[in-house]
Amino acid sequence: MRWVMALYLTYLAAPIVLLLVGSFGESWTNTLLPTGMTARWYLEIWADGSFRRAFSTSLVVCAATCVASVLIAVPFAYAIHRAASRQVRAAVRLLYLLPVAAPPLVLGFGFILVFSSEDLPFLGASWLLIAGHVVLALPYLMQVLVADIRHLDLDTLEAAAESLGAGFLARFCHIVLPSLRHSLVAGVIMVAAFSIGEFQLTNLISGFLTRTYPVVLLQAFYGATGFACAGTMVLLVLAVLGATGSAVAGRVAAA
Amino acid sequence: MSIAVEILSYRYGPGAGGIDGISLTIEPGEFCAVIGPSGCGKSTLLKLIAGFLEPASGTIHLAGEPMADRPPRARDLGVVFQNYALFPHMSAVDNVAYPLKLRGMAKAERRRLAGEALERAGLGGFGARLPAALSGGQQQRVALARALVFKPRALLLDEPLSALDAAHRAAMRDEIRAVQRANNIATLHVTHDQEEALSIADKVAVLRDGRLLQVATPAELYDRPADRFVAGFVGAANLFDGTVRGDRVETAIGLLACDTRNHADGARVTACFRPEAFKRESLGPNQFAGQVVRDRFLGSMRRLDFAVPGGTLLAETAWRGDVAALSLPPEAIRLIPSA
Repeated sequence: MRWVMALYLTYLAAPIVLLLVGSFGESWTNTLLPTGMTARWYLEIWADGSFRRAFSTSLVVCAATCVASVLIAVPFAYAIHRAASRQVRAAVRLLYLLPVAAPPLVLGFGFILVFSSEDLPFLGASWLLIAGHVVLALPYLMQVLVADIRHLDLDTLEAAAESLGAGFLARFCHIVLPSLRHSLVAGVIMVAAFSIGEFQLTNLISGFLTRTYPVVLLQAFYGATGFACAGTMVLLVLAVLGATGSAVAGRVAAA
Repeated sequence: MSIAVEILSYRYGPGAGGIDGISLTIEPGEFCAVIGPSGCGKSTLLKLIAGFLEPASGTIHLAGEPMADRPPRARDLGVVFQNYALFPHMSAVDNVAYPLKLRGMAKAERRRLAGEALERAGLGGFGARLPAALSGGQQQRVALARALVFKPRALLLDEPLSALDAAHRAAMRDEIRAVQRANNIATLHVTHDQEEALSIADKVAVLRDGRLLQVATPAELYDRPADRFVAGFVGAANLFDGTVRGDRVETAIGLLACDTRNHADGARVTACFRPEAFKRESLGPNQFAGQVVRDRFLGSMRRLDFAVPGGTLLAETAWRGDVAALSLPPEAIRLIPSA
């Protein structure tokens, strides 16, 4: 058991370690490991305006996606739970899981078709990008919430609260939300990770000034290896930032 | 304050379960147990009174006030649920303080009252614990304290003891009764456990298929069951169908001497007698010779299946020796008219 885990962790960590080594390497061509030692790649990224802008854009889009997802998913999951008939619940579940099944490319083409028209010239706007991320990330959050609601026996807890004198709003704020806090935090971390790493759709619908970090990073892959490695390391930092940020925000909001 | 329901009916759907024309009054301070097999409608009755279901017809009055169109939150009832339904993210004291919070009480005041309620329930040091860190009995006490802390008009208990193990159940029974007495509050207690109902309640209502069969004190229910079903459901009973012949009843196990004054000659009846009514002395007219086919030792007594010509009798005796003959005093036999 233990060595299987060790092997798997090595497999996971190896590329990251290589990237880390490569990002500090002076040059890396046709050798197993890079030669020389330098910090210039990081300094170059820092000096590059488009990378800096993309970094902050990614964080903003990620935060906005998380907030919007929570605002939509919590009432949505609750409504599915409250839906009278089994069939309605099953149909709605299928519907909200659909974006997972459809390739983001399909959604991207749809966005381009609709929002590059004369009536709706919004392609490239950051709110549209956020909307796209929400569409793709929502199923993950929904799935966690719906499963959690089902096993919580929320009905009995709400009935108890109601018998004690709680109206709908009191029940929702005092019972439903706190009961869902664990799955909400877990789901939001997933949404954040998804938003930070999303490339397919973002590459199609982001404007030149609203490009997120992964889209800009693609440019780095055409340059020096060290530069690409450093750029990718920054993306990892960004992902960790997004995940911890959303987790902390979720915990603070739950408390 | 009293609970009064009149000709209350509810259907879950065409052909599905529900209740039919139930009328029942529980006086202030009275403890009423509702029993019946699963699906008899006892939980439905509780949900209707609590307001979780809307009756198809009939009325519910609490303390004289009609409850129609009143949502559960405005009925002011203390409800204890089967699995207690404590809020898992709130500590014991917060659970108990919650109804007071909803009533706009200041934080310090409500925490003090909730703390006192827990103290009375013997949970003084457990206020800060989450429900998951409490035993079943302790959760039960928290749930009871929460249901009573806001001085509700009445108390509804939905199988509150079914999640406890047998050892705690009996003790908790007495505790619930004591708390109910101390609060002097009209109480409806739903249970499938007839022994629990008999031991705890002032009066017991027996439900079957959504209908109320009998409401009576525990002793009356046991001694004078209204029909064959109640006789068989409440306690163990010997039930033999027969026909009245003068001052006797003709049954499969022979002619039984008993009080037939209220029954016409030739009427179809069921003879009902309890297992503990048998005597070992051969006295009186109803003598049975036979043999023990099953012997269950229950400590304070033995419960015997006693095979006699024509049938098997269920008998209880404290005697440890052999049993070859039993007698049954005529006054121990109660005749129930066959439907």
